[in-house]
Amino acid sequence: MSREERRPVLEVSGFSLKFSRAPEVPNLVDNVSFSVGAGETLCVVGESGCGKSVTSLALMGLLPSPPAHIVAGTAQFDGKDLFRQSERELADIRGNRMSMIFQEPMTSLNPAFTIGEQIAESVRRHRGKSRAEAREEALEMLRLVRIPAPEKRLDAYPHELSGGMRQRVMIAMALANRPQLLIADEPTTALDVTIQAQVLSLVKNLQAETGTAMVLITHDLGVVAEVADHVAVMYAGRIVEYGTVSDLFDDPQHPYTIGLMGAIPSVGKREGPLATIHGSVPSPEQMPAGCRFAPRCPFADERCIDQAPPDKLIDGTHRVACWVAPVELCATPRTKEVTA
Amino acid sequence: MNTPASPLEGATIDTPKPPVIEARALTKHFGGTRHLFARTPTVYAVNGVSFAVQQGETFAIVGESGCGKSTLGRLLLRLIDATEGRVIYQGKDITQIDAASMRKLRREMQIIFQDPFASLNPGMTVGQIIGEPIALHGLAHGAARAERVAQLLRTVGLQPAYADRYPHEFSGGQRQRIGIARALAGEPKLIVGDEPVSALDVSVQAQVINLLEALKQDLGLTLIMVAHDLAVIRHMSDRVAVMYLGEIVELAQVDDLFDAPLHPYTQALLRAIPASTPAARRERPALSGDLPSPTAPPPGCRFHTRCPHAKPRCKDERPLSETLPEGRQVACHFWREIQNAGGGTPLVASVSPKLIERLGIYRERQALANSGV
Repeated sequence: MSREERRPVLEVSGFSLKFSRAPEVPNLVDNVSFSVGAGETLCVVGESGCGKSVTSLALMGLLPSPPAHIVAGTAQFDGKDLFRQSERELADIRGNRMSMIFQEPMTSLNPAFTIGEQIAESVRRHRGKSRAEAREEALEMLRLVRIPAPEKRLDAYPHELSGGMRQRVMIAMALANRPQLLIADEPTTALDVTIQAQVLSLVKNLQAETGTAMVLITHDLGVVAEVADHVAVMYAGRIVEYGTVSDLFDDPQHPYTIGLMGAIPSVGKREGPLATIHGSVPSPEQMPAGCRFAPRCPFADERCIDQAPPDKLIDGTHRVACWVAPVELCATPRTKEVTA
Repeated sequence: MNTPASPLEGATIDTPKPPVIEARALTKHFGGTRHLFARTPTVYAVNGVSFAVQQGETFAIVGESGCGKSTLGRLLLRLIDATEGRVIYQGKDITQIDAASMRKLRREMQIIFQDPFASLNPGMTVGQIIGEPIALHGLAHGAARAERVAQLLRTVGLQPAYADRYPHEFSGGQRQRIGIARALAGEPKLIVGDEPVSALDVSVQAQVINLLEALKQDLGLTLIMVAHDLAVIRHMSDRVAVMYLGEIVELAQVDDLFDAPLHPYTQALLRAIPASTPAARRERPALSGDLPSPTAPPPGCRFHTRCPHAKPRCKDERPLSETLPEGRQVACHFWREIQNAGGGTPLVASVSPKLIERLGIYRERQALANSGV
C-alpha cells in the first residue's frame, strides 16, 4: 500500500548466522536481506526449520552467543546496527522502540504477576512514569486491544484468561510504548480460527493508527494473503523469493513457492489431489551445496546441485533465487498443448 | 486439470446402507466427583450427540478447541466410556460389551493421533510398533509378521528397512506415516483421525492427506476426521458435523455446508477463514467474545452469548436439531430467517492463471521424475 512512505524502519542486509564457529558448518541462515517501511507489514513465510524464527530472535538480540554466531550482515534500525549493540543498549531498545509478540501466549507471560503489572512494567522502565500513571496507561492499552471489562482484568493473573485474551495482553504489552517496529512470531498459530480473525484485524487496525512497521513470521499463507504488503519466502535458511503480496500470489516464480501454494487445500470446490513437495527439509548439518531446494525440486539439474543461484530481479521489488525460473521455459511440448 | 474423479464423490446418502457406526444421544461429563472438601466442577464435554456414519464415507467433526470434538472421537472408539447414550457399531451396541469382546473389535476400529512426537513409544523400534497389533490379534507370526510389517511400511511410502529404527530418527511427517501404518496393521474398517495433519508443515501435510485419501480408496476404509482446519475438511470429507460447546449445531454434505451455511456459528466460522489470495481480502464482522466455559454452558441455545442474531427466545429455549428434506440437520430457532446472512462474499477468489499454469508444469515434471527417469 504505502509505497511513497517507504523509508525503511528496519533494513537487514546480508545476514548470515550459524550455531558453531567451525568453518565447515554451513550457515543456518544464509545471506538474508529485507527491509520494512513505516506502517508496512512484511511477512516471512516458511516451514519449520527454515530459519524464520531464528532470524527474528537474532534481530531482538535474544539468541545466546555462543552458540549463536552472526557470521555477516547488518540490521539498520533507528540509525544503529542491531547486531552490534551491547546488551545494555539492546535493553533500552527492546520493548520500547522495537518489540516482539511470541507464538505461545500461554508461556510468554509471567504467571506470578498480574497482567496490569506486566504491561505497566515496560511503561515505567522506558518512560519513567510513576506507578499510578503506568497503571492508567496499562488500562488504556487493555481498552485499545478491546479486552472486555478492562478495569477488572488489570488485576487478573494470566491463568485466569483465555488464549485469545492472553494474546491480546501480549499485543497490549508490545504496543504500550508505541514501537516503531513490531516483530510477531506466529502470533495467531495457537489460536482458533474465529479468535485468529479477531487478533489479525486488531493488529491491522492498531498498525494503521500507530504507523508501526511489522515483521510477521508465519507458516500460514492464508495469514500472508490477509495482512502482508511484502512477502519473503524462506527455505532452509535462504530467502528464495521476495516481492509484494500480489507479486507472490499472482506471479509465483520459485518452484518452492509454487509447490507450497499447490499443497494448501482450498476452501473452494475440491479439485483432485493436492500438489506435494517430495522429501523433507534438509538437516542443518547436511545443507545441499548448491541450491538448497534442489534435492526436492522437480526442475533441478546439474547446475542447481552444484551452484547456489543468484537473485534474479523480476520487476520492481520482486526477486527470485532460482536458476530455472520462470518454469514455463521447462515445459515439455505436451504441457504446452494442454495449457494452450 | 486432469483430475481423476473420486469414486466416492457420487456416493450420496440416499442409497440406504446400514451405517458403520452410529452415535445415539451420546453424552460425556467429566468431573463432578466429591473430594475431601469440595466437588470438582462438572465439564459438559459432549451433550446428546447423534449421527450415523456410512460405509466408505469421510465424516468430519469440526469445531474450535474445547468444543468436545476429540472427546466425541474417543467415545466412538470407546477409548473413554460415555456417561449416557450409546454407540452402535455395525448394528451392535458396543457401549456395554465386555473388555475381551471390545479388544477383538479394536482390530476393526483404529485411531491416528495428532502429535506424531508423543504417540509413538520411543523405546520400541518401528517394526515393533507396527508389529504389535499384528501379534496381539494373532494375525501373523515370525517371518510372516516381518513381511507384513515391511508391506505396511511400503503402503505408507516408507522403506521396509526402516523397521529397525527408532521413532526419534524420523521427521514429523514420517512419524505420522508410521502412526498410520500402525493403525492399518489390524486391517481396520474404521479409522478415526484426531487432527491427523494439524501438527505437520504444509508440504508434508499435503503428502499425508494424499496418502490417507489413497489408502481410504484402496482399502475401502471409513474415515472419521476430527479437525479444526476448515480447508482440510473441505478437501477431504463427504459430510461435516459442526460442533459448538459439546453439541452438533449443523450437519450437512460438505458442499452444502460451505456454499450455504445455515447455522449462525457455521456462518461465523467460515467468515473467519483468512483470504486465499490478497484479492479476496475483505472487511468481515468477526465473531466477538470467547468460547464460554464448558463447566457452565449458557442456558437455552449455547451459542446465544456470541450470536449476532440472538433473540430472547434463544436464551430460554434450547433449539432442537431440525432435519431438512435432504438429510441436513441444523439446531437453530431462526435458521430460516437468517439463512442468507452467511452468503454474500464468496470464500474463494479465482486463483491466478500463472499459478495454475506453473503448477501444471510442476506436477508434470514431478510425475516424470517419479516414473524413474
